[in-house]
Amino acid sequence: MACSKENKILIHKYLDDDITLLEKKQLQNHVMSCKDCEDHLKELKKTVAIIQSTSHFQAPDNFTENVMNQLPKQPKTQKWKHWFRKNPFIITAATFFLVFILSLSATFGDDSKEITVKGDGQFIVDEARGVVIIPEGERITGDLLIRNGDIEIVGEVTGNITVINGEYVMASADQVSGEINEINQAMHWLWYETKSFFSEVVGFIDNSDTDEDEKNR
Amino acid sequence: MDIVVKKIILEVKKGNQDAFAELMDLYKDKVYHIVYRMLGNVHESQDVAQEAFLRAYTNIDSYDINRKFSTWLFRIATNLAIDRIRKKKPDFHLEDQVAGTEDLTYYSQFSTEEQLPEDQVVQLEMQEWIQEEILHLPPKYRSAIILKYLEDLSLKEISEILNLPVATVKTRIHRGRESLRKRLKD
Repeated sequence: MACSKENKILIHKYLDDDITLLEKKQLQNHVMSCKDCEDHLKELKKTVAIIQSTSHFQAPDNFTENVMNQLPKQPKTQKWKHWFRKNPFIITAATFFLVFILSLSATFGDDSKEITVKGDGQFIVDEARGVVIIPEGERITGDLLIRNGDIEIVGEVTGNITVINGEYVMASADQVSGEINEINQAMHWLWYETKSFFSEVVGFIDNSDTDEDEKNR
Repeated sequence: MDIVVKKIILEVKKGNQDAFAELMDLYKDKVYHIVYRMLGNVHESQDVAQEAFLRAYTNIDSYDINRKFSTWLFRIATNLAIDRIRKKKPDFHLEDQVAGTEDLTYYSQFSTEEQLPEDQVVQLEMQEWIQEEILHLPPKYRSAIILKYLEDLSLKEISEILNLPVATVKTRIHRGRESLRKRLKD
């Protein structure tokens, strides 16, 4: 213990791996000749080894759970936000579905008063009775769509007839060569829209296919 | 590893509590170990380690994502442990019996690899002795020694955790080492 303070500092520098080469040489030389410092260094090395031999502990099993229970409670909206962030596809799908329904219900509900007719040919619209009349001798080529009104056919229709929010009155099968559809309920209307939407999409795809086929030819 | 931690912390900063549970699973053992070595008391250590995580959670906004998370977390933990030491002297020891049991001390709660019973006893005595010696160090040397030799941290990291200049950390380690040497010699 009687050795100089300088050498003690060198020993600690050595243990901290904080020593220059020159200092290291210096220390080595000194330790060779100084029993006191040699012992000191040995003891310190042993101390470090002992301290480092300690085993590591693991936190108790319920540690995480305990802390999680003590965390400040999050407001519900926070939780939803994270749920949303985690499930973007569900949200996107839900949003699209909502927009779809809204647009449909808008078309179903809004124009409930006015009679609209889609089709090629001559017809009479009787607003007072809410009836669309195909007069005798007239011929409608193609499909016919009547919204918010009944249809009375005296003439001829060479296509499908769809009646929305109305009724089909007086017809013998001879006069209509296509199918007749009456749609009076929201669900039916929805189904019809969906069907026609998809048939359009499919038709579009089919068309593009045939286009390509034609190009290939 | 660092990227994973960063990602988790960003989630926590957004307020995602589940992410915090992940973060805890990564660091709880280290934090608990440091705190236990500082306090030498199972119950208090659990208490303080949990408190450290709670503080980390509530103060996560003040954590700078570009710095090392463990440094920040260990700083909270060591500060809390030192506060606890200052507040009161340890009131129960490893040799104490676990409440409601016979012949069962807190040493039985240590996690050790399976060993032969005799080795186990020697190992336990050794552990007990080392812990005792560590606890005899003044707290300011104790934290430096624990971080250096039990957690294997660099002097720079220790200086950041303890918020002290590297030179001061060195001095504390030197003094702690000397003090331990003297005690272990006897």
